Amino acid sequence: MTENSGENRLILYFARHGATAWIAHLDNMRLFERAFNRAGWPIAWTEDAFNPRPILVFGLPVGVGIETRRDPVEVTLKNRIDVEPMILCLNRSFPQGIEIVHWEEAPNMKRSLMSLVKAADYRIEAPMIGPAYSLTFGGGRRVIVPWTRKGRTREIDISSRIFETYNIDNDSIEFKGGAGSDLHLRIDLLLDALVRDGKLAPEDALGARIVRKRVHCDFMS
Amino acid sequence: MSEMERFDSPLYRSILRRVNKPARYVGGELNAIDKSRDFFSLSCTERVHFALCFPDLYEIGMSNLAIQVLYSALNCEDYIFCERCFAPDVDLRMLLRENNLPIVSIETMTPLNEFDLIGFSLHYELAYTAVLEMLDLAGIPLYAADRGENDPLVVAGGPIACNLEPMAPFFDLIMLGDGEYQLPNLVHEYRKCKMAKLSNSYFFLQVCSMDGVYVPSFYEPNYKEDGRIDEIKVIEPHAPKKVRKALVRDFDHTPIPKSPIVPNIEVTHDRMVLEIFRGCARGCRFCQAGFTYRPLRERSLGKLVDAAKHLIDVTGYDEIGLLSLSTSDYSHLDDLTRALLPMTEPRHINLSLPSLRLDSFEGDLAERLARIRRAGLTFAPEAGTQRLRDVINKNLTENDIFDAARTAFENGWDRLKLYFMLGLPTETEEDVQAIVDLTMRLLSVWRDIPKERRSKRLMVTVSTSFFIPKPFTPFQWERQISIEAMRAKQKLLANGLSDRRISYRWHDFESSVVEAVLARGDRRLSSVIEHAWRAGAYLDAWHEHFDPDIWTAALSLIPGGTDFYTRERDEDEVFPWEHLDFGVTRHFFERERKLAHDGRVTLPCFDGCAVCGCDLWQTGICLPSSKVRSDTGVRK
Repeated sequence: MTENSGENRLILYFARHGATAWIAHLDNMRLFERAFNRAGWPIAWTEDAFNPRPILVFGLPVGVGIETRRDPVEVTLKNRIDVEPMILCLNRSFPQGIEIVHWEEAPNMKRSLMSLVKAADYRIEAPMIGPAYSLTFGGGRRVIVPWTRKGRTREIDISSRIFETYNIDNDSIEFKGGAGSDLHLRIDLLLDALVRDGKLAPEDALGARIVRKRVHCDFMS
Repeated sequence: MSEMERFDSPLYRSILRRVNKPARYVGGELNAIDKSRDFFSLSCTERVHFALCFPDLYEIGMSNLAIQVLYSALNCEDYIFCERCFAPDVDLRMLLRENNLPIVSIETMTPLNEFDLIGFSLHYELAYTAVLEMLDLAGIPLYAADRGENDPLVVAGGPIACNLEPMAPFFDLIMLGDGEYQLPNLVHEYRKCKMAKLSNSYFFLQVCSMDGVYVPSFYEPNYKEDGRIDEIKVIEPHAPKKVRKALVRDFDHTPIPKSPIVPNIEVTHDRMVLEIFRGCARGCRFCQAGFTYRPLRERSLGKLVDAAKHLIDVTGYDEIGLLSLSTSDYSHLDDLTRALLPMTEPRHINLSLPSLRLDSFEGDLAERLARIRRAGLTFAPEAGTQRLRDVINKNLTENDIFDAARTAFENGWDRLKLYFMLGLPTETEEDVQAIVDLTMRLLSVWRDIPKERRSKRLMVTVSTSFFIPKPFTPFQWERQISIEAMRAKQKLLANGLSDRRISYRWHDFESSVVEAVLARGDRRLSSVIEHAWRAGAYLDAWHEHFDPDIWTAALSLIPGGTDFYTRERDEDEVFPWEHLDFGVTRHFFERERKLAHDGRVTLPCFDGCAVCGCDLWQTGICLPSSKVRSDTGVRK
């Protein structure tokens, strides 16, 4: 893709809540593809002869049961468009619960959007989660959890993946956690740790409301 | 419960986090209808709350066009609110039971027992236990006789409604035939009775004379000492002696759902669907749908093209499927694909043509299909020898098969799937061996094509199922072969089809027997189904859930054993479905059966009327002026 090709890249930020928060990542991608089709966006396609796909890159996969408020997705368009009316049209094309809340022209990035994601802000609501969080992570304590990836399990300290705690209430916590390829914080492991070390009731952990409020990307790298 | 309340509930979230694919249960899809506000502002007597149920998982149910058609047809009326409900997977089923929670609808999470009407769309016998499970999870008494005026009415319909006798005691009403007008009409009558505060039994009397409305409690089979049916008595004087199916005569003007629900998760057939015609002109003698959907009625080219354009815009799918029992029999298929490709190609939309006949896969059509995304190609010769193909009236020659395969290979296809049936009437060992020979010769066809004109690799999948004699077919009298015979035939094939380019798949033996027993079963089997369900049978159509031991135990309750139901029936035997009328006459089936045993074919309706009985409706291909009949010179 070159600057002369007429292609144009945008980063859209989407929120999802309600029923759509329970859609798995691959289904979410498919849902976006269809919404773009319905809205008539001129999405560029990969040139793979066997399995061409629309060029959409989600900054961070979104887990089942997680709401978002501002997750980035990069789209490559075949040509420039008048963005605002097209976003209105796109928002009408989504099922209820998904909305584009912000957009910007993609900076001249040499790396993929996914590799630029560094952190994410979360809010988790559950009865007595605040005290459980303080008990588990207070005093700079190391919190070791088993991390299984590609069939291999190793132990990691998830406290090192919590970069900042913004707010702790009895029934909610807000914090910035690692995201992306380095120091990714898995929210299910965090909840497991709160159950194990912070005496959070397992039922409350399962019933927690999890909101990813913002994904932080380092566009300068 | 509003969406906000539902997703604010920790209990709801904790259940969803413990199940596989929770998006199956939460709704919120594009075009799903929630008319709660207006609907519930109507008085209780004015409105009818309808639960459209599918006794299998969401992915299967949402792949089914009937669900979309009925959902759209019912919700057209302001006074009807039709919601969906699918069978929960085993994980959710267990959680519901552990937590003593009822099964609920998708749109508003209303417990099923709070609906006025519950309608099950039934497509295969192995879904029967899921019906019982869903009723039980809803706290609704299983047997119609045990339900009171405050319980919902339980209605069933779908392709296997032509013999739901084994399930008849569980249903208040069974709907036969096309449902898109008939079901809203039934609901309309129900509303009238509800507004007038009339009883359910009065409602049954009101509707029992409508085409396609079968009230099982108005009929009573009497049995002979040997277990065979003596007669089916009409015990309600106002009920018709025979219940005739409902039929949409003007199929071209039947509305195509304008805003189909687009699932949020991948479903089995994840595409928009255009039903190009209903019914079939072929007359394959094993095929129930081929007879019960008669006569063939087409949609016009213009309607289909307009509908396709609209569906592409409103759904955003990347695949469009043409649906029918035999796609290549559509009289304007060439024009339709020509009109669709300019719409689909630029938007990377795949055009899927399932149910293509081998003898139509040639030249232009193959080239056109090859231009778009080339999925695997499936052909159904059904039998290995010409003799047996003539017995089943497949009307396909060996040359048709080889020509189609050559065309496919020359156009770049490298995956071919072949369907065959084992245990067909008159089948011999030579017929089974011929499947091996035919497959091997297809490999030779591929090898004989110069390398530069064919794909580098080839994979042929041979898939076999066991013949199950079905009601309303010429083979309704035939026997099903024993499990031992099934095993021997399958072994012969498995040994013969040993080539690295061939993969061989076969259907389970035990579930084929269960299916055969239920397909031609009578009301006495309701206790067998209930027994299997109580012992844990559920989602039996899924290989991983089907438990042969449970079913063996349940089937052992049959006094004459399974043989009583899988045996060859007497020529003059009264069938459990004798009081139902799908247009095609018993006399026609008898004649066709005789022709089958003589190895003689009957030509499709295009080539002349075989007097099956469906001309009574004087529509579709049965009209003398039909454009799809070859004697008009339009269709060959």
